[in-house]
Parts: sequence; structure tokens; C-alpha cells
Amino acid sequence: MPRMLRKNHVAGSALLAAAALAAAFGAVPSAVAQENVSVRLKWLAQTQFAGVYVARAKGYYKNDGLNVTINPGGPNLNAESLVASGSDTFAVGGGIESSLSSADKKLPIVTLAMFHQRTPFVLVAMEDGPVKTLQDFKGKKITAFFTGTQHTVSAMMAKAGLKPSDYSLTAQAVSMTPFLNREVDVAMTTLYNELVVVRNRGAKVRVFAPDDVGISVPRDTLITHQKMVAEKPKVVQGFINATLRGWKYAIQHPVEATEIVMAAAPGLDKAHQLQMISEVSKLMLADGGTKQGLGYMDLEKYKLAQSILIDAKVISGPVNFDTTFLPRFWNAVPTADKKM
Amino acid sequence: MRTGFGAQLAALAGILMLWEVGVRAFGLGSHVMPTASAVFRDLWANPELMARGIVRTMTETLLGFAIGAAIGFGFGSAFAVSRAFERLLFPLFVLSQAIPVIAFGALVVMWLGNGIWSKVAIATYLTAFPVTVNTCRGMQSVDPQRLALLRSFGAGGWTIFWRLRVPFALPSIAAALKLGISLGLIGAIVGEWFGDTVGLGILLLQAMYNENLPRLWALILVCGAIGIFIYALFEAIERRWIFWKQEI
Repeated sequence: MPRMLRKNHVAGSALLAAAALAAAFGAVPSAVAQENVSVRLKWLAQTQFAGVYVARAKGYYKNDGLNVTINPGGPNLNAESLVASGSDTFAVGGGIESSLSSADKKLPIVTLAMFHQRTPFVLVAMEDGPVKTLQDFKGKKITAFFTGTQHTVSAMMAKAGLKPSDYSLTAQAVSMTPFLNREVDVAMTTLYNELVVVRNRGAKVRVFAPDDVGISVPRDTLITHQKMVAEKPKVVQGFINATLRGWKYAIQHPVEATEIVMAAAPGLDKAHQLQMISEVSKLMLADGGTKQGLGYMDLEKYKLAQSILIDAKVISGPVNFDTTFLPRFWNAVPTADKKM
Repeated sequence: MRTGFGAQLAALAGILMLWEVGVRAFGLGSHVMPTASAVFRDLWANPELMARGIVRTMTETLLGFAIGAAIGFGFGSAFAVSRAFERLLFPLFVLSQAIPVIAFGALVVMWLGNGIWSKVAIATYLTAFPVTVNTCRGMQSVDPQRLALLRSFGAGGWTIFWRLRVPFALPSIAAALKLGISLGLIGAIVGEWFGDTVGLGILLLQAMYNENLPRLWALILVCGAIGIFIYALFEAIERRWIFWKQEI
């Protein structure tokens, strides 16, 4: 199989070369001038970003006149600053908190769509352990990703009537092993990655989702530079149309989408990636994702997230929603591309 | 030199045995410490993936090392020849080493893009410093009597540089190169953390975040093996061509 792939690749290159030659001699009239754009992912290539990879592999971007380079992220990269600096045209950015703090810092970026309709991270406790309700967090050891999610935990605790002095909240390392060894009582997981890891290791856990207590921190934004919106609105529209079309196809064909992603990042574990795409699909189809369409931005929901961030002093005050979130491109996406 | 090779292999085999037996005996779960056999199974199961990663990371390492060594040699020589130049710029070299390399992540991507050159730049950055220092110190420690002798024969600056300073500094430069190539490897791996899909650094990240410990250990072994290989290669080069030792 891998050898066949490589042969195809060689054949593909030969074809490409032939096409280039033909084009050079004017035999093939180029239909539309292709616009070169790049999209930065907030993390490593994985099925969390399947829609983007599918849109490229299926030629959706090409059909919209876009030649898209996908740049994976990593632990030391910030998608928002790479778009703000002009290094990348678009990005799948952090989430509502990143959009709000970017606006607070006056970064020239705008949010066009929201992929995950609900908070993708949840708190977990062992099913046979002492923590059965949020109130049971009192006196317990909690760990969370200190990338901003700790504020959501504090807000959840406040809803349960607990003060910061009632529990211990510390930074969580990469590994879930401390939680599995019961060194900590409550840990944080993303629904599409760590929770899958924990369950695959045979642990039975109780899940506490922020959305269950009315706190929602939707994540995985589609962002671009203000200049793109002003100067190349057609490119922006084409990109969001094709990306959502890619996502629709990926959700409908998870196995094929996983294979497409794995062709780009062959080091991944297929079973894990299949579980990831299934969880990500649920997050994308939740609430407005089904009612309104994939990528819908529920601005009312974000007001609460904003007040949590103001309370935690992550942002200095309310930001201008009209310039931070730009739903008009999403509104113009054909219904067939965004509605399942 | 070859006599110890069999013993080294035996020691390695012994350590692997101990690893396997130890993990089994203490009943450590595979998510705490996988057995040696599980690690090697993962390695054998993915030869193509590993080979692709190794080729990519080695390319970045060697390119970064070559550029870094050239920069180090250039600046080291200049510092050795001109004290004023050294006073002016050497503190900047020292300063640069105090900055953790991950601080440059976003900058390198903004300046050089997402391709191979951002990784090469990190490898270069880590390689250049030891080569600079050792080139400079090696050339500065030239025997003043020989310097005086060559001058008395009417030798010019360039002759002194190539006939005396460079040969004199070569042993210490060679020591720096051995250090530099290992640092270059680390630089290439860390550089890949700034966004890519191929390379040992990316495989490491994937293994870490998906908690695939056999893969993680397989990669640690591969990186270690590469490190030993390039170190041994440079040692062999040094023994073959730089046979004299610095005489002070």
C-alpha cells in the first residue's frame, strides 16, 4: 500500500510536470487565476481540522479560486499573532477567549465562524471516586490546562457555590497518568483527545461539562486579518464556503476524512483519529451547529464568556463585538454548504 | 579501538534485558514505562514513517550545522584577530545563548515561513555559539614565539592566519563541532515543534500528546542513535585528519 502510494505520487508529479509544460505552451488555458493563501492550525495536523484537509483534497478551495497551504501549529505557536502579523492569511484559532483577548489587545483580526458550538473541554472524576457532584469538589485536588481554561473552572466552581480557597487548582501536565493513578481527584480533558485516551485506558469517569451549568466557552474559531476583509472579501467568502463544505463532507464521511488527514500526517494513530473526528463532529453539530448551520456564531452566548474573562482580569473590559465578530460572511455561505 | 566494540554491544544488550525484565518484574503499566520489546515492536512496525522522519530531521540538522559552523568559524576568527570586534559583538553572542530557543518560535516562522528553513535556522543558532567560542579561544592561544618567528620571516596577516592560527585552533574547533552537531540535532527537533507534519520532532509531539509511550520511547532511542552516530562520525574525521594536539 505505501509503495503504491509512492508510485501514484511519482505518476502525479509526472502529470503535474506535463500539465505545467502544456500550460507553458498555452495548450491548457488556465480557467481562473489562483489566489495563494495559507491557513494556520492551532495545533498539529489531526482530525480536529479534518474539514480544512478535506476541502483541499476534494478541490473545494481550488474551485473557489484558492491555492491553500495548510500550516500546522505546535505548542509554541499562537495562531492569532501569526494572522495578525500577516504570516498566515487565515487560521483555525484558539476560541472565544482568544478572539476576545486579541480584540482587547487591539490585534487586527476578525472572527468569521466558530467550529465547536460548545466548550470542548470538560472536567472528569473517577466514577467510583468520592466526587459525584460539583459540590464534592470542595477540598479536592483539581488540575486544568493553564491556557485560560482555569478561569472556566473557577467560574464553574463559583456556580456551585465554592470559593477559590475551597479547592486546589493547579496546572495539568501533558500526561493523564497522574489522574489515572488517582494522584489528583479531578482533571481536565478535551472531549476529542484526552477523554478518548482516558477511556481507551479502561477508566470509567464522571464528566462535568461547563455547558451543563450554563457556562459555554466555544472554541476553534475561523479568523483572518482585518485587511483581508476590507481588500479581498471574495477570497474570504470563498475560503469560508469551501472550509464549511469540507467539514460537511468530513462529518458525513469520517473514515475517508481521517484517511485524508493521515495522508498529510502519517504518524497518527488511525483508531484514535476516528474517535477524535466523531467527538469533534458532535461539538460542531451541537446547538446552533445543527439549527443554524456549521460554524454558526451564537453571539449571545459569547457575552457570558466575556464576563467570565473580565472577572478573571484576562481582558480589561467589554470588547466591541461588531468589529471582533463578523457574521456576514458566514451568513452568505450557501445553505447547502453549512446545513447538514 | 575496535576491541571494545563487542563489549559495548554486550553492555547494550544487557541494559535492554534489564529494561525488559525490570518493567515486567515491577509490573509497571505500559503508560508508565513500556517494555523494551513493545518499543522495538513499534519501531519495526513503522520503518517507513521512521525513515522519513530521520531523513527530514537529519537534513535540517546537517544544513543548520554547516551554516552554523561557517558562521562560528567566521566570527570566531574575526574575534581572535580583532579585539575591538570581539568587545563589540561577543557579548551579543553570549546574550543570545541565554535566551531559551522556544522564544524564537513565532519569530522564526514569521521570518522564514513554515518550511525547512525555520528549522535550519534554529539548528544554526544552536551550532554557531560553541564553534565561535572555540575558534576564537583556539586562535588566541597561539604560541607567541611562533607568531614572532613567522613575523620575522616577513609573513603577512593571511599567511599567519592560514598557516599558524587555523592549524593551531583546529583541535579545539573540532571539539566544538562535535558539540555543535549534537546541538544542531536538538535544534532541528525543537524547530519542528513550530509547525510541520514530517520529522522526528513532530512524531515526538504526536506521541507525547496522544500518550503513545512505546512510540515515544522508540523515538528517544532513534534520536539517541542518531546522536551517537553523528558524534562518532566527527570523532573519526577528527582522528583521521586532525591528528595533532594543541601544544601549549
